[in-house]
Amino acid sequence: MRAPHKFLALAAGAVLLAVSACGGDSDPGNTPAPGDTAATSNEAASGGEISVRGCTPENALIGSNTTEVCGGNVIDAFTAKLIHYNADTAEPEMDIAESIETDDNQNFTVKLKPGYMFQDGTEVLAKNFVDAWNWAAYAPNGQQGAYFFEPIEGYADVQCGEDGDCEANKPTVETMSGLAVVDDHTFTIKTAEPVSNLPVRLGYSTFIPQPDAFLAAEDKDEFSKMPIGAGPFKVTENTATDIVVEKFADYSGENKPHVDKVTFRIYNDPAAAYNDVVANQLDLTDLIPADQLVGDAWKTALDGRSDTAETGIIQVLSFSSTDEQLQDVNMRKAISMAVDKELITSQIFNNARKPATGWVSPVVDGYKENVCGDACTFNPDEAKKMYDAAGGYDGIFQVSINADGGHKLWADAFCNQLKNNLGMDCQVNATPDFKTLRQQIHGRELKGAFRGGWQMDYPSIENFLTPIYATGASSNDTDYNSPEFMKLLAEGDAATTPELANEKYQEAEAQLAKDFPTMPLWYQETQYGYSDKVDNVKMNPFSQWDLTSITVK
Amino acid sequence: MGKYIIRRLLQMIPVLIGTSFLIFTMVFVLPGDPAEGRCGERPCPPAYVAKFRAEYNLDEPLLVRYVLYLGKLLKGDLGTNFYGNRVVDELALRYPTTLKLTFIAIMVVILVGITSGVLAGIRKGRFIDNLVTVSTLVLISIPVFVLGGGAQMLFGLKLGWFPVTATQGTWYQLLMPGFVLGALSVAYVARLTRTNLVENLRSDYVRTAKSKGMSQGRAVGVHALRNSLIPVVTYIGASVGALMGGAIITERIFNINGVGFFIWRSINQRDGVSVVGAVLVLVLVYLVVNLLVDLLYGVLDPRITND
Repeated sequence: MRAPHKFLALAAGAVLLAVSACGGDSDPGNTPAPGDTAATSNEAASGGEISVRGCTPENALIGSNTTEVCGGNVIDAFTAKLIHYNADTAEPEMDIAESIETDDNQNFTVKLKPGYMFQDGTEVLAKNFVDAWNWAAYAPNGQQGAYFFEPIEGYADVQCGEDGDCEANKPTVETMSGLAVVDDHTFTIKTAEPVSNLPVRLGYSTFIPQPDAFLAAEDKDEFSKMPIGAGPFKVTENTATDIVVEKFADYSGENKPHVDKVTFRIYNDPAAAYNDVVANQLDLTDLIPADQLVGDAWKTALDGRSDTAETGIIQVLSFSSTDEQLQDVNMRKAISMAVDKELITSQIFNNARKPATGWVSPVVDGYKENVCGDACTFNPDEAKKMYDAAGGYDGIFQVSINADGGHKLWADAFCNQLKNNLGMDCQVNATPDFKTLRQQIHGRELKGAFRGGWQMDYPSIENFLTPIYATGASSNDTDYNSPEFMKLLAEGDAATTPELANEKYQEAEAQLAKDFPTMPLWYQETQYGYSDKVDNVKMNPFSQWDLTSITVK
Repeated sequence: MGKYIIRRLLQMIPVLIGTSFLIFTMVFVLPGDPAEGRCGERPCPPAYVAKFRAEYNLDEPLLVRYVLYLGKLLKGDLGTNFYGNRVVDELALRYPTTLKLTFIAIMVVILVGITSGVLAGIRKGRFIDNLVTVSTLVLISIPVFVLGGGAQMLFGLKLGWFPVTATQGTWYQLLMPGFVLGALSVAYVARLTRTNLVENLRSDYVRTAKSKGMSQGRAVGVHALRNSLIPVVTYIGASVGALMGGAIITERIFNINGVGFFIWRSINQRDGVSVVGAVLVLVLVYLVVNLLVDLLYGVLDPRITND
């Protein structure tokens, strides 16, 4: 018995019949013949093909080796996880898992729904999770998403030491002691420290189960050219120009798609994809070229075929930890207060971004308004006083950005405001590309400030704090180190209820407001456009298409 | 003749080795670590970076990497790019599209360019001559991205005559991009043809031919034009390479999955193996086309021999 999914109920009333038909998917004879006029609404609600703007995945289509969007969008289409995030609210809902239980936030028992099938006809069993996770966490396999397993007990034993040199320090064991199979449909997770939001994390693509065929494959990258998951779609074609996924007929979950086939068409340039959508030659694009945002030209061109979605993305400006002149927290706050972010978001982004008042995106559970307070409020007079009191900044203050990401405009505006309001000699330092910027950040070569962005992996306030500001965390580009912050995080991790946890995390965020390692810039919204062929277009808070709700007219 | 061709073919080998080494070095010395930026905004974990670097020999010195690459190349293996796809497959997917696009562009250049050049040449100083001069001047002054974007906007979006992009790379889709790509060369070829034709029409042998009673059409078409085409053929031959590899902007605007964009993306990724693989094929095409051009000289002007 499957309950109809929430967003099906939201679909237009005319397709209600179709929805119930979808629920009883086991009877293929029910499908109306093409051309049957009485079933027009039925046909509209299911079937058809759509094309989506895609980009080239950086790696093979392995869930644990993909942390970027190009591959991530495809992976989410063909995989199913223990839990699924609601496309509207990002709220976690059980998917493969029947229940995830814990008494102490440290020992978790996961029960799986029986009969959940992979696309190769085998059943998703507890060992498919445990083996896949152990494989992904084992450092010599070099998976990008390995560190998501960090909280699990025994993670350190499968690593190759600090420098990742697996030849010198090969791990002695291949599995994490914190994972154990109880029976075919039950396994347990033990974390090294309490992790109150562990269940919420389990919907991230690193935590997918892998079929036996994957685990047995000699060359996993080669195998994953045509990967096998347990999701609503199945990859049927994967070339350098197109990735095609088709509806998986025996899909066991509740998020059944309406369309039969989705083609991710690889576009080299967002403008080309946008023009194709305007001309109805491509169905969905989630990138509107910056020049089209000016004066809302895109809304006119797309004429009712456009929308905006709130997404869990925040942009910040990080202060260099190696810049002696930025060690004074008041200096950093003065810079923040001297910039009118409202003006930049309205003039340069046409309100497509919202000025940030904290370090956490409003879309997640635990978000609290205005944590940053005065330090994020435009106040040029006070800023000037603080700046002078802190002794001013000698020489050129550099704001580093990558030139290939459309950041030049706001960075120029940012610098101009610092010049006008503080008398700072601010200059934009544009690296030729993202790679170069990352390398310089990584090597701590930059002085002044540099841009950073964060897109959430899972919908929790904690995901905006730990990976970026915890001591020694992988994305802690500012070398932020606060025992108080760490203590609050640990208390949040150990809290017994989500409410208590969120409270502690909010306190930790408040600590950031005191120490000001980075300056919150803005929350990003995603603008998208679609063709006149599709209906019920929706984007989830991860700025990914909700491919299951989209219908063809 | 045969000896000449063999000599030219043999000369290609050092050229190919030289260019491959130069390009390999240039990609190598570009700043930016190839392993950076592969994990979105966050830094990649050390174990991932270590595996990635080992897989692509990124820790070896330049010469070792180049020799390793050459060794594979001699076995016919162009290597694997950073996306984990075999370069041979990527090129096999992209070269047909690029060749189609170049073919359309060259046909446009030949048909439109030479025709308008001849018309302007024989009607020197008349309306048609002025029209060709002015319109080619306009074409030469407009940058490709304006021309391409404008054509896409007008003929693709507003009028709907042509597909907006050429993602699948069919002949029909590539028609408009082909025109855009060939536009600049059309202008040059028209002007080259015109100037040379005007000069040759004034020469003694044409006057002699005419005074012997040869028709205007024959005098122009067979005698003057044939001689006038030698510099034009040289120019077209030289631009084939530029059209194939330099179509990056056109490829971007119309989303054509061609070689130009592949090279550009690979340079961005500091993916030397992919760049060299794609460029080697380009160089080869370029050399072969130029050999053909040299052989064509002999056909156009029997006084030129290749022995």
